[in-house]
Order: sequence, then structure tokens, then C-alpha cells
Amino acid sequence: MTSIHLSQIVKRFGDFTALQEMDLRIHDGEFIALLGPSGCGKSTTMNIIAGMEDPSEGRVMFGDRDVTALPMQKRGVGFVFQNYAIFTHMTVRENLAYGPRMHGAPRAEIERRVVEMADFLDLGAILDRPSAGLSVNILQRLAIGRSAIMEPAIFLLDEPLSNVDAAFRAVMRRELKSLQQRFEQTMVYVTHDQLEAMTMADRIAVMDHGVLQQVGTPLEVYNAPANLFVAQFLGAPGMNLLPGMLDGDGIVLEGGGRIALDDREVRTARRATGRDVVYGFRPEEARMGEDGVTRPVSFVERIGARTILHMEGGIKAVFENDVAVAEGRPVTLSPNPGAARIFDAGTGARLEG
Amino acid sequence: MTRSPAFHVFRTAALLLALIFVLIPVLWMVSMAFKPIQEWSATGDLLTWWPRDPTLDNFRYIFGERTSELIVALERTAGRPILASLLSSVVGTAIAMLAGTAAAYGLSRFGSGRNLPLALIQLRLFPPLAVMIPVMVMWAYLDLIDTWWGLSLVYGIVTLPFAFWLMKTYFDDMPREIEEAALVEGCSRFRVLTRVTLPMMRGPLASSALLVFILNWSDYLIALMLTTREWVTIPVYMASLSSSMTGQLYGAKAALGLIAAVPPVILGIAIQKHLVRGLTFGALKQ
Repeated sequence: MTSIHLSQIVKRFGDFTALQEMDLRIHDGEFIALLGPSGCGKSTTMNIIAGMEDPSEGRVMFGDRDVTALPMQKRGVGFVFQNYAIFTHMTVRENLAYGPRMHGAPRAEIERRVVEMADFLDLGAILDRPSAGLSVNILQRLAIGRSAIMEPAIFLLDEPLSNVDAAFRAVMRRELKSLQQRFEQTMVYVTHDQLEAMTMADRIAVMDHGVLQQVGTPLEVYNAPANLFVAQFLGAPGMNLLPGMLDGDGIVLEGGGRIALDDREVRTARRATGRDVVYGFRPEEARMGEDGVTRPVSFVERIGARTILHMEGGIKAVFENDVAVAEGRPVTLSPNPGAARIFDAGTGARLEG
Repeated sequence: MTRSPAFHVFRTAALLLALIFVLIPVLWMVSMAFKPIQEWSATGDLLTWWPRDPTLDNFRYIFGERTSELIVALERTAGRPILASLLSSVVGTAIAMLAGTAAAYGLSRFGSGRNLPLALIQLRLFPPLAVMIPVMVMWAYLDLIDTWWGLSLVYGIVTLPFAFWLMKTYFDDMPREIEEAALVEGCSRFRVLTRVTLPMMRGPLASSALLVFILNWSDYLIALMLTTREWVTIPVYMASLSSSMTGQLYGAKAALGLIAAVPPVILGIAIQKHLVRGLTFGALKQ
């Protein structure tokens, strides 16, 4: 019922432009994650959807309805804040009942909805406890419940899991997903944690410096990053990006060495505006081989199932199991066939061919 | 961290010194209130720490009962000044808290009245006497001298900056998300204020009101200038407790002082929980 369309949104704070001509369509019932580093404008985008901030330019549409001028009380969105915003002078029950009560729902109906929501979120046992002394995990769950009980068509979550325990996050990720499947709201989820975005979202909107970089399914943004920022921001660690110069059927790398390209890659690289390109490949998509990028190993990180090689020039490689390498000795990495992504060094955009 | 024994000795000594400094005048007042005249006046030649012969004569005396030793009858008893102090302090505190909280909320949330903070503090930049003499003239013109409402109004005005500044810091510290959450759930601004913000501000409101009340309660100068007979307050009345025959009536003053200490102490105990807790929003990560 409710899709969201942000149309040419610009937001300025004084001289600072927080959002630059943002255009984003969020489908009805979709779980979209706004992902980016802090200060990228994702929270501002969220606040504009909620009506807490007015855009400097552009329009906000819910379905066919223009809500740009509608105050936040009347937008009927649910909002969950990073710091819970629980009314500490009320009990858990009163917090849950707050929204329906404000909308004048009948007492019996309020009671029914509170109990139902409490069961869903496992808050039944503490309904009559004062909310002041509860743990952060429970508080955030309560905050989600207090918003969800209104069954808003649009549900906005601003980094809801960044304050809860690491162990609890996995539980909450599952609960949020099941909440959305149950109520079928349109969910907008702001996060800087790519794990949350990748695991929950139907689509991810990657942002940086107030500019929407790419919108796509988790696998699309991971496998086919639109530009250098998305390539290095997604993935842990991010993509290896080696600046170089196109030279016949290969790229001469700035840090030394030459990488040979196949015919298709050469055609792609030729689309660059100049000869300067960036050669990228995921740390997971390489093996040790004869030809490729040769760099001394500066540091070997062994984290149980995986081994991460840190090589000079900031190049990383991830191996499934232990590898016999010594720090200080050079290693040659060969990207897997098809792993190469070639970017235009001038524009930063990934070249497609 | 383990601390050296010398640290503990020093800390205990410093605390004792501070306690002596704070408590001895209070103890002196308490003890004096229960002493018969011979024990508190120099003429009696019997100055002691603890009353040797405890009596309630001083209390009886200020409420108008004649006692054997204090033969001089008082022109006025303490009842009316106590009423005057209570009335003017309570009403003055109510005025300051209402106006101060509203102004602080407006400035903190909507930025209305940006010059207000400085304008309010101006009244406090001058020595009180310099401000009070013109006020006295105005009040005389308005026929507000020696009325409880005239005094309450001035109390409300001069303590308004305290109420305002305190409440403003508390409102500034309160995370805006709490109100935004209530707004997003469809609550009007006014309901947010009455249902969410003010209930959460109970502690700050109580502790600010106590401070303002104590300021009003302990005022001497303003009451001295704005009241003459009917609505003289406790401090002014206390200063008048002397006679040519007996000199300063220290025992009576001590008894009155003890009575005057009761309301702030009771209020303080009543809201102690809030004073200690201050403004810890348990539900928010700071």
C-alpha cells in the first residue's frame, strides 16, 4: 500500500549540503537498508522520510500522496531510535499502550494489542515492570514493540542495534525480519553495519557524503559495485583496488608489476575516459599463483577458519584455511577468472563491457 | 587502587573539619533554642554548651505567651510572619517555576526568545539593593507594599532566572528522540509536554523548585524593603526580636530559626531521591 518516493531531495544545513539530489524509490513492503559511513546522510534521509526534518528541495511521496509538508505526527510512520527513547516514567505495559491510547483506541482493544505484541517480543513476563531499570537489549526490544504496535505502513529504524550486545544482535536481526514478514510494512533501516544490511535487507542503498552511490540487492551491490566507494565499503575486508595504467592488453600497476587482461576485460578497460584505471578484485577471489600481483607479505592474520594476508600496498587476500607464507616474503596473487572489476580512475565508476 | 593510610587520615580529618564548620552553628542554634534566658544572655553569666535546664520558654515567648523571665511582651507574635513567609515563598516559587519552565522549554525546543537568557540574568548583574530601591518605588506607586502578593511577585521575578537556567540545562540534556518518538506516534506537541516531558522531568522540577523555594524563604533584603507590618516575613521579624531592656533576644531568635529550618529540611528529605538521582535517564545511553 505504501511505497516511498524521494524525489530530488536536497538537504542543506547552512553551507553544508547533507544530501545531494537524492532520488530513491522504495517499494511497498520492501525492507531497504540505508548503508554508509557516519555522516553520509543516511540518518538525514530517514528524518526527512519521518518528517523530523524538512527537505531544502524536493518532494517526499508516500504512494501517490505528497507528504512533504505533512508534520510528523500525521505521517503515521513508526520510528525506532538508536537510543530507544523509552518513556522511563512508565511501565513496559504503559509504553506499549502509549500509541494506541493516544489514538483513542478502546481499552479492551489496547489490552489485546499490548498482550499480543508482548508475546511476540517475549515481553510478557515483565509487562508491569517499570521500564527504567531494564537492560539495553530489552529496552530496544520494547522500543521496537512500541512502534510496531501501531502497525504502521512504514517502519523506520535508525541504527536500532548499535547499542545492544553483539550476541543479542543476531537474535534481533531474526526478530526484525520476522516482524516485517508478519506485518508486511515497508521498512527503512539505517545502519553502518554491512552485516545487518546484507542479512536483512531486500535492497541496499549505499550512501556516501550525501550522495546515493548505488541501490541494489545485497548480492548486486556486493558483486557489481557501481563505483570505487561501494567496492571498498562493502565486504570485510573491502575490495582490493589497484590503480594503474592501461597498456595494450594489460594494466601496469602503480606499485609495480603488470596484470594481463583477457579480451573482454581489455574491451571493458578501453571504455575508460583516459588510460588511468583501477583494477579491482575481492580478497576472497584470488589464489596464490605464478602471475598476478606480487607484493611482500606484511602481516598474516589467522582467525580460525580463515586466514587474511595483508600485503604491502594495502592488498589483502582471504583464504579458507591456513596457508604457508612467511611475513616479509613476497607472494604472487592471481585473481580468479572473472573476478576482475575495472574502474575508471577519473570518474570512479565501474566500467561495464 | 589502594590508598595509603596517610590518605585516609587526611581525608577523615578534612571531613571532620568540614562537618564542624557546617554543623556547629546549627547545633549552637538548636541548643540555644531550648535554653532559659540565664543561659543564653551574657548577663546570666551561665553560658553553656548544652542547656542545663532545658525549657520551651523561647517558643512560648515568640508565640505570645508571657514567661517569668522574659517580662517584655512582644508587639507581634511569630504566627503571622511564618504565614507571610510560607505564602510569599510558595507563591513566588510557583510563579518562577511556571514561567521559568515554560521559557526554558520554549528556548530549548524551538529556539524562541534567544536573547532571553541574558535579559533574565540582567536582574542579577546589579547589587540587589540597586535593583530593589526602584522596585520599592514602583511597588509603592502600585500599592503593593506590605502585601503578600506584592512580595510573591517580586520573589517570582528575582528567582525566575534560576528556575529558567536550571530547567534549560535539564531540557537541553533530555534527548530529543524521546519527544520525537512520542510525536511520531501521533501525539500533539502539548500532549507530549504534559504526558511525556514533564512527567520525565519530575526530578529536575522538584530539585529546581526546592532551590528556588530556599532562595525565597531565606530572603531578608527584599522583604525588609517591601513589607512594613502586616506581611513581615520570618527573617525580618527575627531581626526585630530585641528590646532595649533585654538587648538581642538570642533565645527567641534561635527558637524562630529552628522553626524556619523545618520547611526546607522537610522538602529536602521529601525530594531527596530526586536530588541524589539528579537527571539520570535510565533508559538512554549517554
